[in-house]
Amino acid sequence: MPEIRLECIRKSYGSVQALDHLDLTIHSGEYLCLLGPTGAGKTTTLRIIAGLTSPDSGKVYFNDKEVTHVEPEERKAVFLSQTYSLFPHMTVAENIVFGPNIRDWPDEVKKRTLAEMLDLVRLSRRADAYPRELSGGMQQRTALARALASGAEVLLLDEPLRALDARLRLGLRRELRSLAKSLGITTIHVTHDQEEAIVMADRIAVIRKGKIAQIGTPEEVFDHPNSPFVANFVGQSNFFRGVVVSSNDVTLIKEKQGRLLPARHSHFKAGECVVIAVKVGNTEIVKSEDGYLTGSVERILFEGRNLFVDILIDGVGRCSSKIPAKFFDRIKVGDNVGIRWDAEKASIFSLEKCNLDEELKVE
Amino acid sequence: MSYSDTILNIISKKSFRKGWNAFIIFFFLIFVILPTVYILSYVFTHWSAIETNVLSDRETINIILSSIAASFEIAAIVTVIDFIVGLPLAWLIVRKEFRGKRFLDTLIDMPLAVPTAALGFSSAIFWATTPPSIEAPPFAFGAISSPMLLVILLHIVFSYPYMVRSLAAILEQIDVTYEIAGQTLGASKLTAARTITLPLFRAGLVTGIILCFSRSLSETGGTMIALATMANAAGFNTGPTLIGEWKKLSVTHPELIPQLSFVSILLIIIALILLAILKVIVMKVRLPFGKVWPRPEKILSRGFAPKLKDAFSLVFLLFFVLLPSFFIFSYVATASPSGGDWGGFWGSLSYSFGIAFIVTLIDLSFGIPLAFFIARSESRKISSVLDVLVNVPLIVPTAALGFSLGQFYTDQPFIPAIPTLLIIMAHVAFTYPLVVRNVAGAIEEIDPSYEETARTLGAKPIQAFRRVLYPMIKSSILAGSIMAFTRSLGETGATQAVVSEALTAPVYIVELVKGQEYYLAGLACIALISVSYAAMLLLRYLTRKKGRSV
Repeated sequence: MPEIRLECIRKSYGSVQALDHLDLTIHSGEYLCLLGPTGAGKTTTLRIIAGLTSPDSGKVYFNDKEVTHVEPEERKAVFLSQTYSLFPHMTVAENIVFGPNIRDWPDEVKKRTLAEMLDLVRLSRRADAYPRELSGGMQQRTALARALASGAEVLLLDEPLRALDARLRLGLRRELRSLAKSLGITTIHVTHDQEEAIVMADRIAVIRKGKIAQIGTPEEVFDHPNSPFVANFVGQSNFFRGVVVSSNDVTLIKEKQGRLLPARHSHFKAGECVVIAVKVGNTEIVKSEDGYLTGSVERILFEGRNLFVDILIDGVGRCSSKIPAKFFDRIKVGDNVGIRWDAEKASIFSLEKCNLDEELKVE
Repeated sequence: MSYSDTILNIISKKSFRKGWNAFIIFFFLIFVILPTVYILSYVFTHWSAIETNVLSDRETINIILSSIAASFEIAAIVTVIDFIVGLPLAWLIVRKEFRGKRFLDTLIDMPLAVPTAALGFSSAIFWATTPPSIEAPPFAFGAISSPMLLVILLHIVFSYPYMVRSLAAILEQIDVTYEIAGQTLGASKLTAARTITLPLFRAGLVTGIILCFSRSLSETGGTMIALATMANAAGFNTGPTLIGEWKKLSVTHPELIPQLSFVSILLIIIALILLAILKVIVMKVRLPFGKVWPRPEKILSRGFAPKLKDAFSLVFLLFFVLLPSFFIFSYVATASPSGGDWGGFWGSLSYSFGIAFIVTLIDLSFGIPLAFFIARSESRKISSVLDVLVNVPLIVPTAALGFSLGQFYTDQPFIPAIPTLLIIMAHVAFTYPLVVRNVAGAIEEIDPSYEETARTLGAKPIQAFRRVLYPMIKSSILAGSIMAFTRSLGETGATQAVVSEALTAPVYIVELVKGQEYYLAGLACIALISVSYAAMLLLRYLTRKKGRSV
């Protein structure tokens, strides 16, 4: 299965710059999630890999062979749109053998491939059904079988789970990933859902404004974001600005009312303007005398397994925390509480060159 | 690699595809657009002839101006009436459920199957005061003595279905929940429909108006026949009938060419300008829909009023559209038979069919690629320019188009001016947009991701079209073909203006009426109606059958 390399890809639509010198390598057989907000250039990247859109400049390589101007039908990279694009006038079986028919394979090979594929996606009994008669999950499996039957070496999935209802989506995450991994296919999965990316990916590439903001394993991207944007987009974060006081095993910063806040080890020097980011789930609610910061509970949202608590911190503004639902009886709106966190879980970024509000914008 | 694979590979090459697209656009510009507007160049090359023959001749200019003014007046009145009575009917067939709805749906389209020449004869016998030699049935209305009124009544017959269809098409797309939301907010039915749904109509209104207006402006054969049938129409002409008459005379009087050119140019230019203005007005000007009169509108929404409206639109359809269309049958049944030359008629009928068939074939082979280009091209600029240009031959009155085309092919040295070839090219020019419009509309509706997915699954562009896109747009292709075919079959003005002595079936009928062979003309009309109706039914049957297997 091919390794895919994008080098310095640029693409603009009129005055809109969709991709801006994008570099990205996807290893052979890897399951990569391309995660980013709407309009970040995710789908454009996918279409360029498929050959459906040609870049303004830059090169695309499959296994070190340049394919920038190779036609889509010669790439063996199957594109699956959000709605799967199952051909409505063909049955499940006809859809699946579309690729083999186009390539004019011998009849017995076609038959064997069809049987194998139907078996693989457990649709043997629905072979003669039309796509509109299938459930969302079955449609997705048909589309996968169709892709695999055509001899695909690369799967390009554009928000493949978006059209499904929430419950089914959770189940299919695992199924989709294990199918792709067991066949060793290089897969690029576009999504704007950070949770989906974290659960499914070997590596996550966070894309923003046509550039890769960060690429790494889900743990790396979640726990060690390289920018406030990534910190906030992959798992929501609380941000606290301040000036570095000392930087040893723990970096200490002083916020504008003089309170000291800890973050993980860093190379920042005393006096630098910084911001620390703490994931909502890592922000603990404690008695007000134990907290780094104090405030009053503004709102409590019951989310089933968790409580989502908004706290109005004196002199800072609104912070959020996610705590287990069992604490439901022990907290109520108006309570004075403190918040704290494990210094190791707090990331720290320079504020010298960046505007935090601009940086956190999702659009 | 087999022979067919080699061809497949060659036509799938990017360079070939580019060349093919260029060729299709070239064909469209050179063989459709250029001949259509070619006559405009006459102003520059023969200004002195226009000056001496037309502008300095009071009488000629009066004839020209009065006939052109009549054309535009008629078109405007017809369009307004079509809209007023077409809207309730469109509403009825889209929003109401009742028994016999399907039947009503087919009834509306029936006049479209009747060539206008036959419609003209049929309507004139029904409406107009006719000379005794015609022997109109005693139960005919027979009281219209104003030629202008007769032409208006005739034009309503064949333009009405276009208006109803365009309005119904857009109404179907407007979500009924808007209106329901309006009603739950306290608006009466009429208020909700008028203030919420009607303003959303603009696009459909533009299509409907353009279709009706240009159809009425173009019509020649039916108008000629109607005028020839009525008792005292002497001297009344519309722009297109004037072109038809003069073109015929120009065979022996070549000095009429400047006059002909002048009429054609005026018709083309005024039609283009007027329709451009119309489009701007309908799209941009805010109509006073906001004002609400709750009490009277509430009263009109209940009880007797809506029923009266529905009954009125049905009566209108029956009495003003269907009855005049098919009155010819009762005429033939009551008039005293007379013999005649049937061979000539069958000859002209098969000639017409042959031409319509070839024309449709050309339209399909060059129209589908252009439609595809317009709908799918990456360069939106080129495709939107083409999109506008495609409408030009639809708007230009066909008689003027035919004359322009005739001059074009006589003037250029490359293609021999064979009459049949000229007629075919003329018919291609005004039927081509019908195919392109229909197919481009259908392709635009279909998510390009189907073809793209097919490409990534290994299909070459032509295979993706053939196996994925084509099955989905088949019915629109057929619809476009039916329109092109019946339009070509029924066209009189363009045919006459290209080759005045051409004997297609509609022209033949015109000649019969002018030669006072009314009975034979009636029979010929019925034969033409039956044959085109059968063709239409057959095509409908084919589309339905294929539609089911999908």
